[in-house]
Amino acid sequence: MTSEVAAHAVVEEPEETRAAPRQAGRVAGRIAIYALLLVWTFIALFPIYWTLSTSLKLGRDVTQGHLIPWVDFAPAWKGWQSLGLSPDTIFETSNVRDEFLKKFINSVICSVGASAFAIVIGSLAAYGLSRFDYKFGPWRNRDISFFFVSQLILPPVVLALPFLVLYKELALLDTRIGLILVYTLMVLPIVIWVMRDQFDTIPPEMEQAALVDGCSIWGAFVRIVLPMALPGMVAAFILSLVLCWNEYFFASLLTGFDAQTLPVMVASQTGSSGINWWTIAALATAAIAPLLLIGIFLERYIVMGLTVGAGK
Amino acid sequence: MRVHIYERLMAMQSSRRDVLKGAAGAAATLAASSSILSSTPSFAEDSVVAQIMKIPGAGNGSPTDSDWQKVGALCLGPTKQYVQPGEFKGVDFSFMGLNNQNLHNFLFRGFLKPWEAYTGASIKWIDLAQADYNARLQQSIATGTTDFDIIEMGAPFEGDMGVKDLLSEMPDWVMKQVDFDDYVNYLKPPVGTWNGKIHRTCIDSDCHTMNRRTDVFGDADLAKQWADWNDKAGLATWGAPKTWLQVQQVTKFLKGKKVKGKEVYGFLDQPKPWGGFQFYFTASRATAYAKYPGEKNWMFDENMKPLVNNPAWVRAIQDVVDLLPYEPADQINADPGTTAFQQFLPGTGALLEWWGDIGTSAKTSDTATIGDVLDFDILPASDDVYNFRKAQWEKLPTGPNVAPNMAYLGWGIYVMKTVDSDAKRHKAAWSAAAHLGGKDLSMWTSAYPSGFQPYRKSHTNLDLWALAGYDKKYIGSYMDSQSTSYNHPNSAIEPRIPGIFQYYSIAEDELQKTFAGKQTAQQGADNVAAAWDKLTDKLGRENQVKYYRVAMGLA
Amino acid sequence: MARRELNRRDGHRAVSSGRIEAAHGDVLPGQVSAGNWIFRLGSAFFVAVAALQICSASGVVPIGFGNWQPTMFAFLLWGVALGVSQVLKYGDGGKQTLFVLPALLFTAAMVIFPTIFGLYIAFTDWNLNAQSGHHINGLDNLRTLWGDSYFWNALANMVFYVLTVLVQYVIAFGLALLLNADIRGRKFFRVAFLLPFMLSPVAVSWMIGKSLMENRFGPLANFARWLGWENPAFFTDPWIARTTIIAMDAWVWIPFMVILLLAGLQALPQDVKEAAKVDGASTWQTFWEITFPLMLPVSVTAIVLRTIFELKLADIVINVTAGGPGGATDTISSFVYREYRDRSNVGYATMIAEVYLVLVIIFIMLLLKVANRYMQKMT
Repeated sequence: MTSEVAAHAVVEEPEETRAAPRQAGRVAGRIAIYALLLVWTFIALFPIYWTLSTSLKLGRDVTQGHLIPWVDFAPAWKGWQSLGLSPDTIFETSNVRDEFLKKFINSVICSVGASAFAIVIGSLAAYGLSRFDYKFGPWRNRDISFFFVSQLILPPVVLALPFLVLYKELALLDTRIGLILVYTLMVLPIVIWVMRDQFDTIPPEMEQAALVDGCSIWGAFVRIVLPMALPGMVAAFILSLVLCWNEYFFASLLTGFDAQTLPVMVASQTGSSGINWWTIAALATAAIAPLLLIGIFLERYIVMGLTVGAGK
Repeated sequence: MRVHIYERLMAMQSSRRDVLKGAAGAAATLAASSSILSSTPSFAEDSVVAQIMKIPGAGNGSPTDSDWQKVGALCLGPTKQYVQPGEFKGVDFSFMGLNNQNLHNFLFRGFLKPWEAYTGASIKWIDLAQADYNARLQQSIATGTTDFDIIEMGAPFEGDMGVKDLLSEMPDWVMKQVDFDDYVNYLKPPVGTWNGKIHRTCIDSDCHTMNRRTDVFGDADLAKQWADWNDKAGLATWGAPKTWLQVQQVTKFLKGKKVKGKEVYGFLDQPKPWGGFQFYFTASRATAYAKYPGEKNWMFDENMKPLVNNPAWVRAIQDVVDLLPYEPADQINADPGTTAFQQFLPGTGALLEWWGDIGTSAKTSDTATIGDVLDFDILPASDDVYNFRKAQWEKLPTGPNVAPNMAYLGWGIYVMKTVDSDAKRHKAAWSAAAHLGGKDLSMWTSAYPSGFQPYRKSHTNLDLWALAGYDKKYIGSYMDSQSTSYNHPNSAIEPRIPGIFQYYSIAEDELQKTFAGKQTAQQGADNVAAAWDKLTDKLGRENQVKYYRVAMGLA
Repeated sequence: MARRELNRRDGHRAVSSGRIEAAHGDVLPGQVSAGNWIFRLGSAFFVAVAALQICSASGVVPIGFGNWQPTMFAFLLWGVALGVSQVLKYGDGGKQTLFVLPALLFTAAMVIFPTIFGLYIAFTDWNLNAQSGHHINGLDNLRTLWGDSYFWNALANMVFYVLTVLVQYVIAFGLALLLNADIRGRKFFRVAFLLPFMLSPVAVSWMIGKSLMENRFGPLANFARWLGWENPAFFTDPWIARTTIIAMDAWVWIPFMVILLLAGLQALPQDVKEAAKVDGASTWQTFWEITFPLMLPVSVTAIVLRTIFELKLADIVINVTAGGPGGATDTISSFVYREYRDRSNVGYATMIAEVYLVLVIIFIMLLLKVANRYMQKMT
């Protein structure tokens, strides 16, 4: 499919005579593509739509499984009210909204901070692992890479007690910087592996040329390689951001008051007095909204790779 | 008052027609038990409690943050007796509690704001989700990171706290301020104490009751069909089942039947683990069989030998296994939250044992299927009860055995020993606890959405309820079912020993396999007993037995 | 510190190693000694602070530190000293080390204490409620583990879950190819496909597991009834339950693989494919012989990362089925979670996790070996 399209400009003219059956095949192919895309879009989006519509429902509507607002049920603002974000409460003081915003900001700071930090030191490490041969004692590149990835494997629950003790001794409990450090540790392996693949696909001739011209290793890295690796960096950043944003375990373990994040708030919506579907849904929607915006904004940088890679 | 009860009761009263429909059921309940309608003492019209009960008052919607603050301000009287204005200036301490459904800690913030203003103290709040509660508590205790001075805690955890000597003892003046004697009997010592010292300021109580659909049990069509049912287990005419055997039969009968064209089911079981809490429901199924009158032991004996695999418990487990095929599909995946809020409230099932939190949302109850057709009762009885001392089943001369399960014993406010070193902080923390545990304040939290149940003898004053907009007949019926359970001589109290929730967690995990059919009831129960024995050894058998005896008020 | 060599790792990079060194000349002797001194000073400072804190903590020295932060900062200083000294002593070689040094030091510092402490805990009988504290119990935990039916049950489930990663990979690759094609509204589709991954696991458990699949009114249940399944019960039969759980997890994580694979597809050189097209290769041939082999490194990364996350599956299981029915959907992670949190069996749970860690490491290593061999065969 890709090759068809890519070769479009080159191949079509000489084959105009055979255009008709080719066209039919291509049309069928395009219909198939769009059909599949739409099917998966539906699968991907329906639960999200369900979440959004649940945030507008009242208790009874939730348990009756009504689907479409204004058709099956009358939308209500109860879910958003409980967050202080509905039209009638948005301009008044609301304890809940203050709590929500505080946790929201904490989530933003911790996720962005950790992802950015991970991208910086992770890209550097990935570049090193891709380009140079390290030998620290018996350890070589492959061992170093594996060391990083093995941090991902242990279920976080087992690190609960050790981290609690460690953070208590380092006075990092209930601090944002503490959470950022843990999150960075969590996403660093992903960044390193993704970026290493990205750097592996960029031929070293580019930096070699720059180095011959008198650039330092550092300069070559920043000015030549980094722009070409942007799609990978964006991908890694988005992935890290999402993982940090939704992380619940360490957030609930290591924070108490100052540094609490959104997932902790979502979890408290259920308990022995009932299930606040509308609040869970409203919180989930509010939580996904910033990620969505970031996704929309950064999506074009993934596309950039197309032109950069092709133009040589 | 639990949110859903409140909203349900508000809704019930808004419909005149349904008032009459339900009145028959309420009247019957009232007639059957000792009536509390007549025993309401009078109160002064301008007293504090009368004032606060009118905030926000009937028909004015749910209380808001400013309402909580108003109530808190009006209830400062008792505090002012013992504390000077500004006496705690410069004192700060932290308060750890739940934030379920934006109640609990949110309420406390509102109530304590005027208190902070009056006393000059300041409070830092730590909010927890219920799912994190146990783990966070245990880990804090174990690693010494108890960063809280006051905690909202359930009574079962008194053992964990007490063993590590983390709690501060209640001073006499606090006992006077909260009118300690007014607590219902089962909440008095030994509950709330450790090693003879009182630590708990009560704000809540808990017990399991049976919730019942009056439309199903009052349906004439079903009554006719019931007459032809082969095994009635003693329930001659169609109506509320009184014993567990009747519950079993009723459920088998109801499978496949319809009421007004809608499918009905009978009793709903909760087989799926729920962080240890599921075990309370199995226990409630078993108390009528296993709790012998006059015998305090029902889960363990006085040497902590597990009783959970004796014939009484096994029968209860077998009841569940037998009944699951007659319950809705996927019931094996229903935890207590599911059965209450996804099944029973929306209209599936006619019988449910639960805490008093059942109800439907007020705003939708005008067309709700069950909003107006709910009634309460004490847990079902059993015709025979197992005497584990004599290893035999007995029929009591007093009739069927009833044993309400005081599951979880309710929330309370506990002050940590961290404040004991500083006299001012000590007084400040206890003053805050006493404020939250105050008599007038508790009347308000009982009646309005708060997450807390009535827990005092004085809460039975129906005139006060009426000020909040309740119809006396309905609240009479509700309070009846609660108070008969609270004051029941054969109520089942759980052991408040260290690590009690570990026992529950192991049990519910093992029982899950039994309910899924992977082993027999006896095998499952034996596995649980073996695991419990192993756990007792691991935790230190000698001490566990000692704590058990103290906790249960034995020896 | 060991020397680094500038060899290229595989045949793709054909440049000789000599070029970079020659361009910048050798390191001055003055620099080397300066580097050594900086390193020695930094190390001495760090050791001194750490020793002081240890003495203070054990009561030997009466200085009261509030916490261990001084040691932490001394460590940071040491790290900087290390970096600077490397550059001074080895010139460009040092600069190369500098690339990987921050990540290595950060990771090592963060995990060293938890790892050691965790290993220690694994060999104790620590139960947070045990009144006699904790004791080392040797290999007892291992013996208990060997006989624990819950453990073996969960392990068997993991085998099933991991095998489905291949299916998820195929779907993700297909989606990535679709997204890479020349379509209108590409931006919309890309963002839409990304959304499931952004939904928090708690929301997924509740909104999908409990609401959408709710047996009586949930849309999925109604859909199942429409398809002909009379009494839809997604969590009663063990195999259906497992499939449902993995379907939910796949729904969340397929976008993860799609992103990785898409980024890889975007970075593929176009001229190779165009050349093949001119030579008359069919779509399938182009894909199988050119695109797929070029995508192998990214594919391996995607599969390995996805497998690792799959092996950690816990949230959805805990919230939706609690390991049920009867343990059919239980994962090692959710079992460890139960032991650790609900039963405070910290020692035993940590041992389970450590054993699991070893098993997974062995598995991933084998996976990588197989993948590498396959890659070499294809290229």
